[in-house]
Amino acid sequence: MLTGEFIAFMALALVAIIGGVLLINLTKVIHMVVALVFTFVSIAGIFVILSAEFIAAVQILIYSGAITIIMLFGIMLTRHDDTSEPITGKWRKLFLLLGVLGFGVAVYIGIYNLDIPQAANTLHVDNTEQIGISLYSHFIIPFELTSVLLLVALIGAIVLAKKDEDDEKEAEKE
Amino acid sequence: MSSVPISAFLALALILFCIGLYGALTKRNTVIVLISIELMLNAVNINLVTFSKYGVAPAITGQVFALFVITVAAAEAAVGLAILIALYRNRKTVNIDEMDQLQG
Amino acid sequence: MENAWLIPLFPLLSFLVLLLFGRKLKIASAYVGIILVLVSFVYSVIVLFERFTAPTHKAEAVWLSIGELQLTAGFEVNQLNALMLVLVSLVSLLVHIYSKGYMDGDERFPVFYAYLGLFTFSMLGLVMSPNLLQTYIFWELVGVGSFLLIGFYFYKESAKQAAKKAFIMTRIGDVGLFIGMILLFWQTGSFEYDEIFAAVGQGEVSEKWITLTAILIFIGAIGKSGQFPLHTWLPDAMEGPTPVSALIHAATMVAAGVYLVAATFPLFAASETALMTVAVIGAITAIFAASIGLVQTDIKRVLAFSTVSQLGYMMLALGSAGYVAGVFHLMTHAFFKALLFLAAGSVIHAVVTQDIEKMGGLWKKLRFTGPLFLIGTLAISGVPLFSGFFSKDEILMAAWAHGNYGLFWLAVIAAFFTAFYMFRLFFMVFSGESRSKMDNVHESPGVMIGPMIVLGVLAVVAGYVNTPWFGAFLGDWLTEGNPALGHGHVEGPAWIMFVATAVSLLGILLAWLMYSKKSLERDWLSSRAPISYNILVNKYFIDEFYKLSFVYAAKAISLFLKFIEIFLVEGIMKAIGGITQAFANTGSKLQNGQVQTYGTVAFVGLAVLLVIFALTGGYLQ
Repeated sequence: MLTGEFIAFMALALVAIIGGVLLINLTKVIHMVVALVFTFVSIAGIFVILSAEFIAAVQILIYSGAITIIMLFGIMLTRHDDTSEPITGKWRKLFLLLGVLGFGVAVYIGIYNLDIPQAANTLHVDNTEQIGISLYSHFIIPFELTSVLLLVALIGAIVLAKKDEDDEKEAEKE
Repeated sequence: MSSVPISAFLALALILFCIGLYGALTKRNTVIVLISIELMLNAVNINLVTFSKYGVAPAITGQVFALFVITVAAAEAAVGLAILIALYRNRKTVNIDEMDQLQG
Repeated sequence: MENAWLIPLFPLLSFLVLLLFGRKLKIASAYVGIILVLVSFVYSVIVLFERFTAPTHKAEAVWLSIGELQLTAGFEVNQLNALMLVLVSLVSLLVHIYSKGYMDGDERFPVFYAYLGLFTFSMLGLVMSPNLLQTYIFWELVGVGSFLLIGFYFYKESAKQAAKKAFIMTRIGDVGLFIGMILLFWQTGSFEYDEIFAAVGQGEVSEKWITLTAILIFIGAIGKSGQFPLHTWLPDAMEGPTPVSALIHAATMVAAGVYLVAATFPLFAASETALMTVAVIGAITAIFAASIGLVQTDIKRVLAFSTVSQLGYMMLALGSAGYVAGVFHLMTHAFFKALLFLAAGSVIHAVVTQDIEKMGGLWKKLRFTGPLFLIGTLAISGVPLFSGFFSKDEILMAAWAHGNYGLFWLAVIAAFFTAFYMFRLFFMVFSGESRSKMDNVHESPGVMIGPMIVLGVLAVVAGYVNTPWFGAFLGDWLTEGNPALGHGHVEGPAWIMFVATAVSLLGILLAWLMYSKKSLERDWLSSRAPISYNILVNKYFIDEFYKLSFVYAAKAISLFLKFIEIFLVEGIMKAIGGITQAFANTGSKLQNGQVQTYGTVAFVGLAVLLVIFALTGGYLQ
């Protein structure tokens, strides 16, 4: 039972969950982001266990790298010395906690003894090549659409984030 | 073939999703809310990849979908952050509970 | 005769024109009304003369077609209808002319003429209807017209109340008529008079149903004709202008009830019980109203009770199978009662009071009104050679011939009362000396005297169309070709005529002794029998009885319902409103613009659904 795979899974899962819990409980924003990096890396490890080496690599590159850095930029560009009292009370948190727990239990009832007979697969053999073939044959249209989406997101982000010079000029005139 | 049951992966995904959800709905800092949403997306990715390997009909499609999700998540993070910057410029705050223009 | 349907349309035209242009026409609206009604009257007379030679004309068009059933609308000119057309249009015409003088100077002069037009239209339509449904429609229109006219002085509280009372009391009767009509339709499958009578004649309807429907229709007639016990509205209706009283409460509307019974007479004739009911109610009403009339001091109220009493006579005649007698009296009564009302209006116009205690000695001052009033009084009292004598005689004969001996003697006593109170009225108004200061007493203008003279002549001569001496022309004509209506003339013992004459003269003599010669004390009754006098003055306390029983009962029920309304219904409403408001408040607190709150609510909703799903193993299994 205690195979290497199992031990690896347990360790990675533990790190991921601890990172998530720290995200909730830490007070400083920077610490939260750092805690989350652990989680992301652990998830990449989980992907490896699931014979998805390419996804694991992408996970580390995009999440642990790019998104975390973007978030850090976001944090640095804004002010975080806010000490004002939260507007909403604790009741909502309690309410939400109960809801989340109920949701978790309900879903867990559905999955805890899920037993799908395992079928032989060859996902671990030339994983990246398989994804590449699939992407460029079967999923070519979604793939191309993704590029459009990224372009739109890029332009949208620039438009939103850039200073509105016209407005400022008008404001100065007035 | 595998010593780790499928339910263990799904349970991990569930726990991470719940944590992300709780964070998204309770944290006041908009950056953390965005990060929590990323965590939820990650939990979904675990599910996708798990079923790609242990599902009824194992196939590479699950991993391809996970890739798409990651792409969309990246785009979402970028746009979300841009919106955050724009809001911050206008209202000088990143606290989500002070952004209540929806009240109408 | 084919175009007889035009007759009611002229007054309707008058109504519409005056409604639209009355304000501009002002005093000229009287001429519009008079001319249009004159056209109606002339045409009615032509139709009547045509009817003498031609057979009954009936024309109908399909109005509504519901499956197998066809409702028709049309008109019918039979003997009774032709007679009623002339009667109604004549009285209406005279009242139109008279009102020109009487209503002079009233602000709402055109409105008055418009109302008169509407009323005349409805009444003419009523007497031409060939089926019950159409009759009912015009019946209600007549009610509306009367309501408007009684309440013409609507700024007077009493007039308002009287109009309301008239409307409600007659409606009680109308409900009876309506139920009777529906039951008849159910039994015979038709609203047509002809088909109903044919079905009744062939015995297709059982005796029980005939009696029931006849009595229900009679209840309608009770309401409209002011019969006991629904008579109380008629005296109060005197709040309307006096020409209206002459038109509605003498000749036309109250006669509608008698007309209805006459028009459906074959139905009544088929049931002895129904006839008996009509006769008994008629006789009771005759003596009852006459006894009240003995002590009233308001000139119009005396006439009103006399009207009620005379209508009772007509009902008695119809109930005694005296179709001819009833219709004959309806005709003569229309003339002399309209005359009396117009004369009374002239008196009121002259002295500006209705209290006969304050009048007196007007004979010399009102050179025309006095003699005309006397003619009407003689006619109604049944003095020989006047029209009332012949028709009343006919009624008494019919009652005797039908074997209603008890009712016959009641009618004789009522005749005595009638003669007495009418001459009491006459002597108190016209003889002796004035009992109050009367300045500026002047005779009425020509437009008022003219119609009265016409009616005066008719009140004298109208009786000669149906006399035991010169032949029962009217009776023979009315019953011609329709054996169900009975004989044209009823043979009776000759002494009846002498008894009737004797009681009339006795009544006149007594009135003369008491009020003119003063050889008998006036307070003879009130001093000797104060209780009965009180009862009579208060009209047998019928109004008070109604007030105590129906009005208070209704008020008590209303009060009870009001409490239910306040506490139960409104309580529930407030509870519902409060709960809704509480929900709304909570809901609006949720709508605080907080994205996370929205998310929480949405997610917790999903979670609850999922938990239910997990616990039951499926949705609502």
